[in-house]
Amino acid sequence: MKVGVPRALLYYKYFPLWETFFSELGAEVVLSSPTNKRILNLGTEAAENEVCLPVKIFYGHVISLKDKVDALFIPRIVSVEGGAYTCPKFLGLPDMIRALDVDLPQIISPTFNLKLGLREFYRSVYELGGFFTKNLFKIVMAFQKGLNKLDSFENLLHDGHLLNEALAGRFFPAPKGRLRIGVVGHPYNIFDQYISMNLIERLQKKGIKVLTAEMVEEEVVDKIVTGLQKKLFWTYEKDVVGAVFHWLDAKSVDGIIYVLSFACGPDSLIQILIEHEAKQQGFSVPIMPIVIDEHSGEAGLVTRLEAFVDMMSRKVGSEKS
Amino acid sequence: MKLTFPHMGTLDMVLSDLFSRLETDFIIPPKTSVKTVNLGTKHAPEFACFPLKVTIGNLIEGLEAGADAVVMVGGIGPCRFGFYAEVQNKILRDAGYDFEMIVLEPPTTDIKDFMKKCKKIAPKKTLWQIFQAVRVGWKKAVAIDEVEKKVLKTRCFEKNFGDTTAMHKKALAVLGKAITPREIQMARDKALSVIDGAKKDFENNPLKIGIVGEFYVLLEPCINFDIERYLGQKGIYLERSVYLTDWISFSKKNPVMGLSNDEVAKAAKPYLSHFVGGEGQATVGHVVKFAEEGFDGVIQLLPFTCMPEIIAKSVLPKIHRELDIPVLTLVIDEQTGRAGIITRLEAFIDLLWSKRKKKLSIVG
Amino acid sequence: MIGYLGVDVGSVSTNLVVIDEKTNVVAYIYRRTMGEPIRAVQEGLRELKELLPLGIEIGGAGTTGSARYLSGVIVGADVVKNEITAHAVAASHIVPDVRTVLEIGGQDSKIIILREGVAVDFAMNTVCAAGTGSFLDHQAERIGIPIEEFGAYALKSQAPAQIAGRCTVFAESDMIHKQQMGYHAEDIIYGLCQSLVRNYLNNIAKGKELLSPIVFQGGVAANLGIKKAFEEALETRVIIPKYFNVMGAIGAALLAKERVENKPETSFKGFSTSDIDFKTSSFYCKGCSNNCEILKIEVGKEVLARWGGRCGKWEIE
Repeated sequence: MKVGVPRALLYYKYFPLWETFFSELGAEVVLSSPTNKRILNLGTEAAENEVCLPVKIFYGHVISLKDKVDALFIPRIVSVEGGAYTCPKFLGLPDMIRALDVDLPQIISPTFNLKLGLREFYRSVYELGGFFTKNLFKIVMAFQKGLNKLDSFENLLHDGHLLNEALAGRFFPAPKGRLRIGVVGHPYNIFDQYISMNLIERLQKKGIKVLTAEMVEEEVVDKIVTGLQKKLFWTYEKDVVGAVFHWLDAKSVDGIIYVLSFACGPDSLIQILIEHEAKQQGFSVPIMPIVIDEHSGEAGLVTRLEAFVDMMSRKVGSEKS
Repeated sequence: MKLTFPHMGTLDMVLSDLFSRLETDFIIPPKTSVKTVNLGTKHAPEFACFPLKVTIGNLIEGLEAGADAVVMVGGIGPCRFGFYAEVQNKILRDAGYDFEMIVLEPPTTDIKDFMKKCKKIAPKKTLWQIFQAVRVGWKKAVAIDEVEKKVLKTRCFEKNFGDTTAMHKKALAVLGKAITPREIQMARDKALSVIDGAKKDFENNPLKIGIVGEFYVLLEPCINFDIERYLGQKGIYLERSVYLTDWISFSKKNPVMGLSNDEVAKAAKPYLSHFVGGEGQATVGHVVKFAEEGFDGVIQLLPFTCMPEIIAKSVLPKIHRELDIPVLTLVIDEQTGRAGIITRLEAFIDLLWSKRKKKLSIVG
Repeated sequence: MIGYLGVDVGSVSTNLVVIDEKTNVVAYIYRRTMGEPIRAVQEGLRELKELLPLGIEIGGAGTTGSARYLSGVIVGADVVKNEITAHAVAASHIVPDVRTVLEIGGQDSKIIILREGVAVDFAMNTVCAAGTGSFLDHQAERIGIPIEEFGAYALKSQAPAQIAGRCTVFAESDMIHKQQMGYHAEDIIYGLCQSLVRNYLNNIAKGKELLSPIVFQGGVAANLGIKKAFEEALETRVIIPKYFNVMGAIGAALLAKERVENKPETSFKGFSTSDIDFKTSSFYCKGCSNNCEILKIEVGKEVLARWGGRCGKWEIE
């Protein structure tokens, strides 16, 4: 059985787990090609106008993949930790795709909701595995293997490897420049090279060492977010806030680039927390928000990156002298 | 301490009743106006949801009018609303306002904290007295909604243009004066009969439109261009998916709308099988319900960038295909103009009439 | 002979039409509104009268467009209709089995889906000008080619430039970029046409089933480049009616004709309405906190109409 996985959204978080799990159960995993103009266009044509860019891209991947597979894997990932949700859009994703007026293969969409406890979570795992085998033991083993794979993937990130390199299993030496820039935002925006217009590679070419939120240890993030006045109820935004606050506090980067997608609900409010914190810290570390949407042009990005990097090199230079 | 709070339809009436019972000092901010929206838009992030922008404007106007404390409710997500209070607090402080922020998180999260906050709002009262005040105030809130529901349903039959609106005002004034549970009960009956005072012509067979969407834009006529009055005066019978007490209520049974959350979720299931925060699933469920009840059409109000409503909108095409119910989505934010809304509504009404005529001609 | 008058006043153009009892167009005027709808209607009427054959009598009048209420007062309309319905009525009158109407005007654009002569769905865009005539006008100015020649240029294109962005601002910067890269004018122009059509289809026509016959009307239908881009994108023929740029007015005239059938006599004020000195003014209602802006139209001391309030208390028509 060919299971299609759209190369979008939570692919960037959990693909090692999914791939291992499906392969262990004898399924063939088919991944959509990296985002390109055609996929973007398919997505913007199919999705409602008001939908945010990453979800439009997801639509594009689904449509580009649908005729090549026997089933599409579109899980409903409600919650990945007890106290928080993912994003409302992830809660409705399978239904949004099903509402499309196109012929779709079978959609495998188990609900994962850790708010309901581990028991319910494993029930979903069995349900998912049940598509491929009746052997419960096999399912448990496959899932355990997947988790191990996910662990080693996440360890690579914590060791300072970039997400796209860790996913591909190919590593390149980091630039040895003096400047360090933290790039935060949703991995499906930053590591989709078509959408982020190779933001990270562009920085690296300038000899800049790039740090991302994935490299910040979970314990550090947890400590920071538990100190917040109001509990953050979106898991992936916690990672963003945790990383930014940590960098601001530890002064471990020279500047921060915050990548947001237009019309992203959680981002629009998290932005306020980050700006407020930066203000409290006296703007000692410059932050540049970059808002991306389907109309973003490369020229604009290049100009802004250059200006930002110039600003920081001059600042670092003057501090050193 | 002088409390202020954001507007939302008749919320000011309900809260002033409650705060008076609690002997808490408060200031009602000026009614939401263009100025409010401009203030909010200036301070809120560009793609924050529209209700956040408007309520920030309300709070600024309330603080400018002399309030020194803000009361808001919190939430546990995943809709952004649960984070409003936190963001409002940060934005207003960054804008230089000094005030106390009292956020009522759902009592199910932390009952002790909830009681502490209640005491803070009403320092002169015991918890038992607060409970009693809420209990009686709640009755009034339900009565206000019942009157509103009746107005929506009957305005289309009025013989003299504007009568129902005038009677609505009168009915609310009657309710406003009631204090004891007995008085509230009597005032409720009187208020409902006041609405009947408008001369009616029940002969015509009006178009029936259901109104669904995000609660804030549904409940705040200052923001939704008062489309319910507009449609009612065009002779359209209206029902709405959510009333103020439906929204406040923690219980599963909706007192005014009459449908329980479970019923609505069940109706939504074939199209949106999981909750998505806010009214997303309710919007879908109510569209299905309205279709089943033979309504001619549905209007969805969607504040720009509202996540749950965007999800709902994404599944509406499937409902339209399967249940053949026309749905008009109106996206509302600070850039929405009244003229554009009216043109769409007029055209939608034309469309529904011609659809009905066609149906009749096939049947007949 | 009896004629029926239709008036369509939009923010960019003001169109007037007279049709006869057999619904043939007798005369029409297409002119710019120039921000003065009253003057546009009055002068339009004056010009129209010159074009009409002798002995024609106006038996009914209808208005549409964003200034439909204002122009309704000026001409004395029997029917005031929104432009979506008016366009649908006109299109299905001229192409009876039409199932899709694409309309692109100066400031807004719309799509109407009809089935068996009845409008079943519609969408319009008024917020953003990217999918409208104004956008093309603006770009024509920038490239320095008269808008009237746009179509001819576009048809010459061999390798159209890819111009990105639904938003005018982005499209413009991308276009400048392409210009500087040395693209031919015709390729840029056709690229613009394709971009406009793509944006129209992605935004306004999203999720709609565009079945033929497809009628394309509105001022922009004059542009053959856009027509070609539509035909390429939809892979079907697109019909442009003879009076594509005054279809709204034709719809209003048809609706007027229908209305007076159930009415003893027309409310039409006659062509002399062109000579009346209408005065408009506005004030803010202090009745409640909405502070609605109320618009008032007077002749001498007599108030002919007022509108704009949300509550309807000022309305007299």
